[in-house]
Amino acid sequence: MSYLSKSDIVKYACTCGQLKSITNMYFCRHCLKLRCGYCVCHEVDSHYCSNCLEILPSAEARLKKNRCQTCFDCPNCLNTLAVRGTTVSVRDPDDPSKVNSQKKYYHACFFCRWTTRDAGLPDQAVQTVSANGWTHKETNSSNVQRVTVLLERARLLGTLERHEREQREKKFTPRSRRTFTHLPGVTSAHVRKRAGLPPELPAPSTIKDTLAEFQPAVAKESVNPLPEEIFTKAVNLFEITTMPQRLAQPEIQPVFCVDLLPAYKHLSTKRSQRCRECEHNVSKPELNPSSTKFKIQQAAYFHVPEVRLVTAGALIGGKDTEVVLLFSNPSQHPTTLSFISLREAEEEEGNKQTEDTSDLADQQGEAASSLSSLTKPAVVLEEPRPISIKVTGNVELPSPDAEITLPPKDDAAEYDYSGETHKSHNDPKWVMHRRANKAAVSFTVTPETGFTGKRCVIGFVLRYTYINRIPSPGSFDQKPQEVRLDTRLFVDCGKICSK
Amino acid sequence: MSSLSSHDSKPKHDLKIHSDAVVCHESKLRGDITIGTHTVVHPRATIIAEAGPIVIGDYNIIEEQSFIINRLSPDADHSKQVVMEIGNNNVFEVGCVFESPKMGDQNVLEVKSHVGPNVEVTNGCIIGTGCKLRGTEVLPENTVVYGRDCARRIALDRPPTQGLQVDFLSKVLVNYHHLKKPRSANT
Ligand SMILES: [Zn+2]
Ligand SMILES: [Zn+2]
Ligand SMILES: [Zn+2]
Ligand SMILES: [Zn+2]
Repeated sequence: MSYLSKSDIVKYACTCGQLKSITNMYFCRHCLKLRCGYCVCHEVDSHYCSNCLEILPSAEARLKKNRCQTCFDCPNCLNTLAVRGTTVSVRDPDDPSKVNSQKKYYHACFFCRWTTRDAGLPDQAVQTVSANGWTHKETNSSNVQRVTVLLERARLLGTLERHEREQREKKFTPRSRRTFTHLPGVTSAHVRKRAGLPPELPAPSTIKDTLAEFQPAVAKESVNPLPEEIFTKAVNLFEITTMPQRLAQPEIQPVFCVDLLPAYKHLSTKRSQRCRECEHNVSKPELNPSSTKFKIQQAAYFHVPEVRLVTAGALIGGKDTEVVLLFSNPSQHPTTLSFISLREAEEEEGNKQTEDTSDLADQQGEAASSLSSLTKPAVVLEEPRPISIKVTGNVELPSPDAEITLPPKDDAAEYDYSGETHKSHNDPKWVMHRRANKAAVSFTVTPETGFTGKRCVIGFVLRYTYINRIPSPGSFDQKPQEVRLDTRLFVDCGKICSK
Repeated sequence: MSSLSSHDSKPKHDLKIHSDAVVCHESKLRGDITIGTHTVVHPRATIIAEAGPIVIGDYNIIEEQSFIINRLSPDADHSKQVVMEIGNNNVFEVGCVFESPKMGDQNVLEVKSHVGPNVEVTNGCIIGTGCKLRGTEVLPENTVVYGRDCARRIALDRPPTQGLQVDFLSKVLVNYHHLKKPRSANT
């Protein structure tokens, strides 16, 4: 499992230029491109409490400061608190000789054994506590007011930003909608509602006025002097809170452990990821908080051939050595692989771009007109960043025409433990062996001189065929199409030794 | 103290199990060990008295894969015996390692915790899951060690005793396991 989450030996270059392992990337089936966490739009689908699994609408969640109103976090170790019941015997007030037993509840942490009794909070008669008596302490604090002011300011800044954005996009508003107001009984609020826009915002001038009243925090030169005994009395760490504990409760910021109060539990979010270019979802979880499944999950791991480093010989600067890589086909269709050097791929790219520039200009003109709808956010297209890895080894690749075909992934073959590998007679010499949908390929690598002690990184372009089952809009051909896709790969072969 | 002299010659007779204790046959007990009344030793638990006798009190629960050892350190004085004393109502959870010669009452060693030979455990302490204590110290009463960084705090109360659990295990374990025969400490 750690291979899946931690591996950084083989890195794939994302469309945006980030280097990631294949398990950390998505593959957009519409644009046929790799997407990483940095080049998809993250959207919050729902807020839920991971303890009681209640879903809250986002407006309500914001109102409640993104916290669940029935569950609590331990103020000591920040895990979830659990309710515990005890039976206490109480003397009957009418008849002192009789003893009644009573069920009482308190909250306890199973990790650090903190209980509400530590904070001096009385046991409750009911199981679901709504922090009735618990939070009254914090409202006395001046921090609460400050936090409220800061939240309000952040909200206003957000409104102002939205205002500016709408102003910018207004020129795209279709004329038809703007002129709706001439109809009898139709107000501008109606029109906004019809267009799916939030209600009219306060004028930016009034927001700016309110913002101007805001007083930023001021650094003071004179602070209260330290207490006398600070230098003489030994500090008892058991009594003093840690920084994470204080920061978890910005309203009270307790200094002593006895002042810790249970805090409402933070809500978790379910997020979906959307391709920035075509706005299709690449990942969308099921809404049900107790479900860990996805409605859409286009992980690159399911589409793009996976590469693993099998063995690398002794890496010595300037000396040839053999590096074996294992390629496996995760898709349900056969795929054909070929290898191109980084330099050749760059040249090809350059040629293509000069051809495409004229087409692109036309396309962009079209895109601008189709974008006129206000509800659709503008597509942010960024130039890919340059790759930030230094290649320290030369790899000798088979000729670009040489190809190997990997059969589709067969789930039954996963349970074949015979470990049998075979070598096909049709395969070129550099294919070491094959097994099911995998093939081991040998490369000759020459680490560059002058990098002794550094990692030997090789890079090449993997060209693979992919069956596109999504018909492109406008084309009448509904049949799956075979396309050739390129991905840049960087493999860390190990440390370059001196001898 | 007669058992001490027979330590080398007849190691089999050094095991003293009190009549109400439940010691599963699959547990591994080596050396001079005394197990008190109502103490439950699960199968696959290991108790090794190497440097001297181990005296375990009453109502303790020693779970599977837990490892209690009175270790003989290589540079120690071999002529002097060190007695490991474990009090009452302690819980040794699955996979914990206990090497200290002294433990009081009502302590909990959670799953995979480790208490080194120079840590004295007093009363009401909880060593959290996976926490390792290897220094030289005396844990104050009701200490709780928890979390990845072995953070500490002093709890208000001792952890609750496991009386009901001991009763339950005493009833259930005999149905599925052979027990080591109790041998009175006096004989
Ligand atoms: Zn990216
Ligand atoms: Zn909740
Ligand atoms: Zn806690
Ligand atoms: Zn896309």
